[in-house]
Formats: sequence, C-alpha cells, structure tokens
Amino acid sequence: MEEAGLLGQLGINWKLFLSQAFNFFILLIVLRAFVYKPLLEIIKKRNFKIKEGLEKAEEADVRLKEIDNIGKEKIKEAENKSVAIIKATEDKAKVLDQQIQARAEEKQKEINELLKKSALMQKEESESRVYSQALELVKQIVAKTVELKPEAIDKALVEKAVSEVKKNEV
Amino acid sequence: MEEISLKAEQIFSILGFPITNSLFLTLFVCLILITFSVILKKKLALVPGKLQSGVEMGVEALLNLMESTLGSAKKAEIYFPLIATIFIFILVSNLLGLFPGVGSIHIEYGHKAIPIFRAPAADLNFTLAFAVISVIMTNVLGMIAIGTFKHISKFINFSNPINFFIGILELVSEVAKIISLSFRLFGNVFAGEVLLTIIFFLAPYFIPLPFMFLELFVGMIQAFIFAMITLVSISIHTAEHH
Repeated sequence: MEEAGLLGQLGINWKLFLSQAFNFFILLIVLRAFVYKPLLEIIKKRNFKIKEGLEKAEEADVRLKEIDNIGKEKIKEAENKSVAIIKATEDKAKVLDQQIQARAEEKQKEINELLKKSALMQKEESESRVYSQALELVKQIVAKTVELKPEAIDKALVEKAVSEVKKNEV
Repeated sequence: MEEISLKAEQIFSILGFPITNSLFLTLFVCLILITFSVILKKKLALVPGKLQSGVEMGVEALLNLMESTLGSAKKAEIYFPLIATIFIFILVSNLLGLFPGVGSIHIEYGHKAIPIFRAPAADLNFTLAFAVISVIMTNVLGMIAIGTFKHISKFINFSNPINFFIGILELVSEVAKIISLSFRLFGNVFAGEVLLTIIFFLAPYFIPLPFMFLELFVGMIQAFIFAMITLVSISIHTAEHH
C-alpha cells in the first residue's frame, strides 16, 4: 500500500482516498434518503399545519367576535321589542280600563234609574193602598157612627170604634 | 510508550485492498450513522418523539445558520444535505476517535502490534477526500447555480490581463483550499491523538480527563469549521459575480 515520495510518507494512498470518498457519498445518499428528505418534509408539513391552525384560530376569533356582536344586537333588539310590547299592552290596558269604567258607570246609571223607577212605583202603590185602606176605614167609621145614637157618641166611643177597626184589620 | 505513526496502519486486506485502522473506524462510523438513519426513518412522525425532536432541533439550527449565510431559505434547503453530511460525518468520526479502545486495542499484523481503531481524521486520506469533495462540490454547485461558462470565467478569463491574473489566483486558491482544509483537520485531530497518547503514558489516571474534554471540544469545532468553510465557499460560488 506504500506510495512513493512525500505522499507516501504522509500515508496518502489513492485506494484509501477513493474508499473514503466512496464512504462519504454512500453516507450522503443514505442520510438524504432516510433523514434529510423525510425530516424536512415533516417539518414543512408541521409548519404548514401550525400556520393553518393559527390562521383558522384567528378566523374563528373574528367570527366569534362577530357572533358576539350579533348576539348583543339581537338581545338589544329583543329588549327594545319587549319594552315596546309592554308599553303597547299598558296603553291598551288603560284604554280598556277606561272603556270598562265608562260602561260600569253607564250600567250604574241604568240601575239607579231602574231603582228610582221601582221606588216611585212602590211609593205610588203604597200610597194608593193607604188611600184605599183609609177610604175603607172612613167608610167603616162612618157606618159605625151611623149605627150609634149621635147624642150618645162621645169621644170614648169613637176611640173604641177605631180600635175595633184596627183589630179587624190586624 | 507506543510508537506514534503519522500514517494510518494496515490491519488487514480484502482481495489486495488495504484496510487501515482509520478506514476500519470510518466504516464503523458509516454503519452507526446508517443504522441511526434507518431507526430514525421508522420513528418519523408528525408529532415527534424525543429522538426526532433532538434531531429536528439540530437540523433547524443548521438550516437557520445556513439561511443566514446563504441569504435564502430555499438555497439553504438545497445545500443542506452536503453541509449536514460533512458536519455529521466528521463530528461522529472525531467523537468516536475519543472512545475507549480506540488506539488502545491492538492487533498483530506483520509481527507488529497495531491499534485496531484510529480516529478517521487522523488519516490524511480521510481529510483529503473530504477537502477534495468539498472543493469539487462547491464548484459543481456554482456551475449549476450561475452557469458553467460564467463559473469557469472566474478562473479562466481573457477579457483583460488583471482578470486573467485574478483567475489564476482563484485557481490557486482552490488548490490551497484543499490543502488547508485537509491539513487543518488532520493536524488538529492527529495532534490531539499524540497529545492524549503522551498524557496517558505520563499520567494514566485523572490527568487525561481535561485533555479528553479539550479533544471533545476540538473535534466538534473542527467539524463545524470544515462545514462552515464549505458553506461559505458554496455561498461565494453560487453568487453571481460582477
């Protein structure tokens, strides 16, 4: 294996030199095929996925904010609507209350009229009854008085006659 | 003290092809890395486990460094396999060179006790092969990136004498790069081996520990430097010159 001259003294041998170079290229090919290429692909793929994930997260954040705003707007709208509905209902209730009150007053007036009428009728009826009774009484008194002698009539007799009439009535 | 040899020693041969202790450990490194890649490939998932997470951390760190040097993520991804393989191969070779048994387990070959393992980068064939691959690959990638004629015109340019001279300098610098890359790595790792051998001979217990850590650091730094110089060369060669 000895080479002549300076190269030989330094141990340089073309066979060993070529075998070392061959070793390097074999290792380069193997490392490239088994390590560098797949590893770089995986790193690229992962970086892409991370980037994609971050972009999606940002997008989701924006969408979430938008949805939050929409939700807030909807709630505000619903609140406004409910306030309007309550106000309208209150107004309607007031109007209805007034109507009912007016109707009740009317009815009351009608009832009062009826009561007045019936009281008047009762009064007229009782008056006519009293009148007829009084007439009968006077008739009876007159008849009793006629049956007795005028000279013998005194106050006591009259009273007796009256009390008898009353008893008869009772 | 055992004899320190500048060149890797032959431990056996297959059909006349010499297998040195350095090449033997290189094959071991290849086997470990290939096994590791097969296991990792089986465990790859979108949700990573501990092993995948660790590898991904390293890959992303290197990719970021390359991106900052090359100025483009796409370029970094294209040249990543070459730079990463240079870095990983040299790093694992240097780290395995510090394992117990490397340099201490001997084999009898030709009436001589020879260490069965030797750090791959402590053999100039290994470092020179890497340096040549680095320089050739950077030039090939440069040709692919900016066009063959445009790239060659950096070295051979007859437009004016200054450009011609600059081209010659560029050509020399490419050769110098091979020498500097290979000898830097070889020098550092071999010097570390020599240092550890001497320290182990002088004080075998506890004292070598700080030197082992130093060599661990040197091994990592040298792998990084080699990969970075290749990366910078790629960056220069793939950029359009005006």
